Amino acid sequence: MFTRTDDKITTTQTSIFISSSVLGAGILTLPRSVVSAAKTPDVWLSILISGIIVILMAIVMAKLSQKFPDKTIFQYASNIAGKPLAFIISTLLLVYFIMIAGFELRVLAEVTMFFLLEGTPIWAIIIPFIWLSGYLLFGGINAIARLLQIIFPISVLVLIITYLLSLKIFDINQLRPFLGEGLLPVIHGLKSTVLIFSGFEITMFLIGHMQHPEKAIKAVVTGLGIPACIYLFTLIFVIGGLSVDAVLRSTWPTIDLLRSFEISGLFFERLEFPFLVIWTMQMFSNFTCYYYGASLGISQLIKVNIGPVILGLMPFIYLSAMIPQRSNDIFAVGDFIGWSSTVLFMIIPLPLYLIWLIRSKGLKQHV
Amino acid sequence: MFKCLFKLVSTLMICTLLLSACWSSREIEEQSVYVGMALDIANKSERDKQLEAQGGITEVDSLITATLQIVPIKSVKGNQPKEEGGVKKYLNDSETGDSIFEILRKYALKRDRAVIGHHMKVFIISTELLEKIDISTLSDFILRDNDLRPSCMVFLARSKAADALETNQPDEIPAFYIRNMTLNKYRNNEILDGVILTNLDQYIESKQSFILQNIASYQGESEFAGAGIIKGATGKWIGNLTQEDVSSISWVRGEGKGGLLKAVNDNNKIIIYEIKSLKTKIIPKVDGDRMTFQVNINSEGRLIENWDNRVDVSKIDVQTRMEELFEERLATMIQNLMNKLQKEYKVEVAGFGERLKITHPKVWQKVKKDWDEVFSDADVNVTIKLKITDYGSSAE
Amino acid sequence: MWWNTFIEYFPDWKIWCQAIATMLIAIGVFIIHKYIFDWGKAKTINRQQKTNEKKTQQISGNYDIDLNNLRNDLAKNGDVNFREFRTGLRGSRAVLIFVEGMQDESQINKHVMRTLMDNKAWSSSDGYLIQSQGDAFTAYLKEKLLSVSKISEVTDLYKLEESILLGFTALLVDGMPHALLVGEPQPKVRSTDEPTSEALLRGPRVGFTEVLGENTALLRQHGQTAHLVLKMVKVGKEIERNLVIAYMDDIVNPELLKEVEDRIANIDIDFVAESGYIEQFIEDDWLSPFQQLQNTERPDRVINALLAGRIGILLDGTPFALIAPVTFSMLLQSPEDYYERWLPSTLLRSLRFFVAFLALMTPAMYISFISFHPGLIPTELAITIIETRQGVPFPSLIEVLILEISIEILREAGIRLPKPIGPAMGIVGGLIIGDAAVQAGIVSPILVISVAVTAISSFAIPMYSAGITLRMLRFAGMLFAAVLGMFGTILFFLFICSHLTKLKSFGVPYVTPITPYRFSDWKDVILRAPIPLMKSRPIMMKTQNKKRKS
Repeated sequence: MFTRTDDKITTTQTSIFISSSVLGAGILTLPRSVVSAAKTPDVWLSILISGIIVILMAIVMAKLSQKFPDKTIFQYASNIAGKPLAFIISTLLLVYFIMIAGFELRVLAEVTMFFLLEGTPIWAIIIPFIWLSGYLLFGGINAIARLLQIIFPISVLVLIITYLLSLKIFDINQLRPFLGEGLLPVIHGLKSTVLIFSGFEITMFLIGHMQHPEKAIKAVVTGLGIPACIYLFTLIFVIGGLSVDAVLRSTWPTIDLLRSFEISGLFFERLEFPFLVIWTMQMFSNFTCYYYGASLGISQLIKVNIGPVILGLMPFIYLSAMIPQRSNDIFAVGDFIGWSSTVLFMIIPLPLYLIWLIRSKGLKQHV
Repeated sequence: MFKCLFKLVSTLMICTLLLSACWSSREIEEQSVYVGMALDIANKSERDKQLEAQGGITEVDSLITATLQIVPIKSVKGNQPKEEGGVKKYLNDSETGDSIFEILRKYALKRDRAVIGHHMKVFIISTELLEKIDISTLSDFILRDNDLRPSCMVFLARSKAADALETNQPDEIPAFYIRNMTLNKYRNNEILDGVILTNLDQYIESKQSFILQNIASYQGESEFAGAGIIKGATGKWIGNLTQEDVSSISWVRGEGKGGLLKAVNDNNKIIIYEIKSLKTKIIPKVDGDRMTFQVNINSEGRLIENWDNRVDVSKIDVQTRMEELFEERLATMIQNLMNKLQKEYKVEVAGFGERLKITHPKVWQKVKKDWDEVFSDADVNVTIKLKITDYGSSAE
Repeated sequence: MWWNTFIEYFPDWKIWCQAIATMLIAIGVFIIHKYIFDWGKAKTINRQQKTNEKKTQQISGNYDIDLNNLRNDLAKNGDVNFREFRTGLRGSRAVLIFVEGMQDESQINKHVMRTLMDNKAWSSSDGYLIQSQGDAFTAYLKEKLLSVSKISEVTDLYKLEESILLGFTALLVDGMPHALLVGEPQPKVRSTDEPTSEALLRGPRVGFTEVLGENTALLRQHGQTAHLVLKMVKVGKEIERNLVIAYMDDIVNPELLKEVEDRIANIDIDFVAESGYIEQFIEDDWLSPFQQLQNTERPDRVINALLAGRIGILLDGTPFALIAPVTFSMLLQSPEDYYERWLPSTLLRSLRFFVAFLALMTPAMYISFISFHPGLIPTELAITIIETRQGVPFPSLIEVLILEISIEILREAGIRLPKPIGPAMGIVGGLIIGDAAVQAGIVSPILVISVAVTAISSFAIPMYSAGITLRMLRFAGMLFAAVLGMFGTILFFLFICSHLTKLKSFGVPYVTPITPYRFSDWKDVILRAPIPLMKSRPIMMKTQNKKRKS
C-alpha cells in the first residue's frame, strides 16, 4: 500500500517517543533533588538502580498491552475490569496526563522567563506553545513520531557535547569518596530518582500503535535506557563540575553548570544558549506526547473525533499550567506527579495484568 | 462572504497587536554593560553628598559603596569624535547604599541606560569591608541573580577595591586584564586558580575556610599580592598570606607547575629552580584522636639562574648540593606556612581537609564542623624530594 | 481548611479568559484554514462531462463543398495558403492548405506535390485503382504514392481546421472522402543547450527544449531499455496540449502511477501555459510554502529520478519537466553530487544543509541576540556591537526589514537587467548600498554582514524554487523573533518542522528519508555513500524492483 493510512509507528519511533516523554523538566532539577535526599556524591548509583526498576515496571505495562494488539489502554481496560472501573482508571490516567502537561509547560515558562525573556507575560510564552502543539497533533501520531525523530538525536548530541565541554571545570575529587558513607544514602536517593522517570505510562497506549508489537519489550528497554544514561551523565558532570555543596544551593544546577565556564574562541562562548535551545525543543516534544495522550484518551473514551478534542483540551491545559502560583508550588506539583506515577503503577497496570493472568489461567483450567 | 472576511481581519488585527507589544525587547546599544563590581566600606563622594542635599535621598545607615565598571565608554557618552590617545575605555561609577540590589537600581536614577550584568567578569571585595560583613551576605545577591553568570571571578583588595578597577594604561579595561592575569598561573605559582562564584557557593555552603587572591593597587596599577583568608565559620576576613605563603600552598596542593623556588647557596649567592613537574601526595593518618598528615613532595626541575659564577653547575655533586639547599628552603617555607595556618590564624586552607574527606570519610563527618581547630592540633610531616634534571643551555 | 487552599489556588477570571481565548483563537484559525484550503483546492470534476461537447461536422467528400467550407472558415486568417493543383493522369483537382512558416517546404514540394503531379507515378499496373473512388483511393494514395513518413487521415472538419492552424499541411483531393494531413509542423526551435538556471561543472550539458518530441527523444537517448514508458495525454479545454507521463514500468509503484494519472485527468482549465500550472493543480497542499513537485530542465535529473521509482511529467511548449513525488532532501541535491566522488560530494552536501539553515535563520537570530539576549554573545563582540550601533535610530527589526527588502528589490531588478550589467550591478549594488547605509547611520555594520551571509547562502541552494521558499520564510522568522526573541525563533523552527512532518507529496511524507530511520535510505541524504554501496532503490518509494545491481 503506497499511502500509509494506518496510525502505526515503527519500533525506533516508539522508543524515541518513550524517551521524549520521560526527558523533560526533570533534567534541570534532578541533581538538587537527589543530592538533597542523599547528601553524598554517590547518587549516580541511585539513577542506575532506579532505571532498572522503572524498566521492569514498563515491561509489565508492555506485556499487558501486547495481549491486546491494536488497542490502547482506554479501549482494553473495559475488557479486563469491566466498564465502570475502566472508566475510572482511564479518567485517572487522563487527569494525570493533563497535570504533567501543565507542569512541564509551567517549568518551561519559568525557566524561559528567568534566563531568556524577562519582561514577557507568562501567557505570551505558554499560549503559542499550546497552539503549536495542537497544530502538530492534527497530523496524527505519525507526524508526531517523525518530529520527535528529528529533534531527539540533535538534542542528545548537543547535550553530550556541552557536557564534554564542561570537563573544563570538572573535578573528579568532587565525586569521591565512592560510597564513603555506605549504601544507605544511595537508598535514600532512590526516593527522588524514581520520580524523575515519571511519564513512561504512555507505554500503555503506545504499544497499541506499533507496527511490530512483538518488539515492544526491546522498544521499551531502549526507550527508558536512553534517559537513564542521560540522567547518569547529568549527575556525574553536574556534581563533578559544581560539587555537592554548590548543587544544594542552586535552583537550576544543570544550567548553572553551563554558565560557570566560557569557551573562548567558539562563537557560542556561552554554552547555556545551545543547551536552552535544545531543551526548549525537547520540552516541546515532551509536552506534545502528553497532550496527545490526553486527547487520544478522551476521544477514545467518549467516542468523539480527535480533532475537536484537541481544540477543546487547550483551555484545560492552560489552566493546569497556571494553577501553581509560587516556585514552591511548582516543585510541590513536580513531587506530587512523581508520587502519582508510582501510585498509578500500583493501581493500574499491575492489578490489570494480574487479573488478566488469573483470568486467562483460570479459563485454561476450565478448558 | 462577509463572515469569513470578518474572521480574517480580526485574526490579522490580533497579530499586529502582538507585534506592538514586544515586551522584553531592548536594543543592545541602549543598555550599559558593566563588567566589574567592587565593594568598599561606605564612603560617600562629594557628589553624592551634594545630590543628597538637593534631592533628599534619606538613608539611615549606609554600609557599602559599590563601584561598577561600565564599558564601552561610547555607550555612556554617545558618539564621540575620535580623540588622540589617552582616552579611557571604561567608566567607573560609584553608589552607596545598604543592599546591593538597591544600589544597582539606584543607577536608574542617574543613568538613562539600564545597567545589565550579563557580562560581569570580576567581583572585588575590600578586606576592610569583609572584616565587618561576612561574605555570604555580600555575595547573596550576586549568587541569586539570573543575569550574573557564575563564571565571574572573585578577588579581594588590600586597599580600596574601587582602585583595583582603575588603570592608567589607555585602551585597557581593568576587569578584563585582571581576569586574564589568572591565566598566568603557569608562569608564577604565586597566582591562585581563579575562584568563580560556583566555588564561592561551595565554600559558603560547606562552611570551610578558604583563600581568595588579593589585589594590591596604587595609582592605577594593580597586581596580585598574596591571598586573604576567610574563616569558614564566620565568613569574615581574618588575615593575609604573603606571596611566599601562597607559593607554599601551591607546592602543598601540587599545583605549582611553572613556578620557581629561590634559594641561597653556600657562598650566599642566589640560585633559582624552575619547576617542570610536581607531584604532591598528602596521606592522612588517623589514630584515635591524633591526626597526622604526611606530605610527600616530588618535583623535577631545572636550574635556571645561578648568581655564583665560581661554581660549575654541570658537576653532579654541585647539583646534589643545590638540591639539598632547595629542599631546605622549601621545607622552611612550608614550615612558615604551617605556623601561620595552625598557630597564628588557626585555619586550614591548603587542601588537607579535602584529602581527609576522600580517605577517611567517616572521620571527616565527625570533625568537619570544627575542622579548623582539629587541624591546628594535627601533625604535619613534610618530605621533599627535588631533582635537578638539567641546567639549561649554559653549561657552566 | 482545604476549602481555603482551594479558593486560594482557584484561578481568577483573567486566567479563565486567557484559557477560553486560547481555545477560541485556535478554533477560529482552524476553521479559516479549512475554509481557505477547500476554497482554493482543485475540485474533482465529473469525468463524464469532460468528453467534449465539441462541435463536429463531417467532411462531406464533395470537393467543392469542402473547399468552400474551408475557405469560409479560414478566410479571417491571412497566413493560410491554398495551393491548388491537378493530379497527374487522373487530372483530379487537389489542394494543399498550409500555414506560413510551419511546413518543411522541400519535403512538401518533393514528396507530395511532385509525386502527385507526376504522371509517371500514377501509371502503374494497378490501373483499376486509378479510377476508383473513396477509401480505396485514399488507401492507394497513402500506401503507394505519398512517400511521407507521417500521414494521418482526418474526418472531422473542425479538427481539420485546428490541425491546419496548428501547422499541419492538409491535402484535399477530389475523389477522397476525407482529408489527409501530410506535413508535420516544424516550429522554430532553439538548440538543446545547457539550461542556465541549473548549470553544473561536471555532467551532460543538455537541456530540454520547448518541443515535446525533442524532449521525449532526449529521454530515450539515455540508453536502450524497453521499460521506459512515455504515456501521452491531452490537457486543456480550449487549446489542447500534449503531456507525457514518463516512468519505468518495472520499477514504479503502480498505485503511485494511478494517483498521478488520476490527478492529471482531473485538471480542468482552458489552457495549460506551463508545467507550473500542472504543478499547482496536482499538488497536495497549495497553502504550503514548500513545493511538492520538483521542476527541472535537465534530462539527467529526470532519468535518475525515474530509476529511483519516481514519475516524470513533460509538457509540450515548456522545457521544465516535473518530477513527482519529491522529498525535502531532494531540494538540496544536485546531480553533480553523483558525478563527483563521494568525499567531496558528502562535504558539499553538508555545506548545503548548513547553508539552507543559515539562509533561513540568520536574520531571526540577529534580531534575538541584539534586542533580547545581549548576555548570550561573547563580551568583546557585545562591546563592539554597542560601539558600532551608537546612533542607529531604528530598532533591530526595522533595520533588518529595511536591508532585507532592499536586497529582495535588488534581486528582482537584477533578473531583468540586460546581461552585461546584471552581475556587476548585483555585486556593486550590494556593496555600495550596504556601505552607504552604514555611513549614513541607518544600519550597523554587523547587520550588513549578516544580511550578506543570508543572501549568499540563498544563492548556494541548487534549486531556485527551494531558494524562493527559504527567502519567504525568513521574513516570518524575523517576525517571530521580534516578538519573543530566541524563544520565538525556536518556535518558528519547530513550526516549520511540524509543517514539514505533516506535509505529504503524493503520499510520501515530505521529511523522508530523514525519518523514520531507515539506514539504507540515509546513504543518500547528507552523506553520499560510495556508489558501490548504493545497492538498492529508496525504500520510501516502495518500488517493485528493489535492487539496482544484478
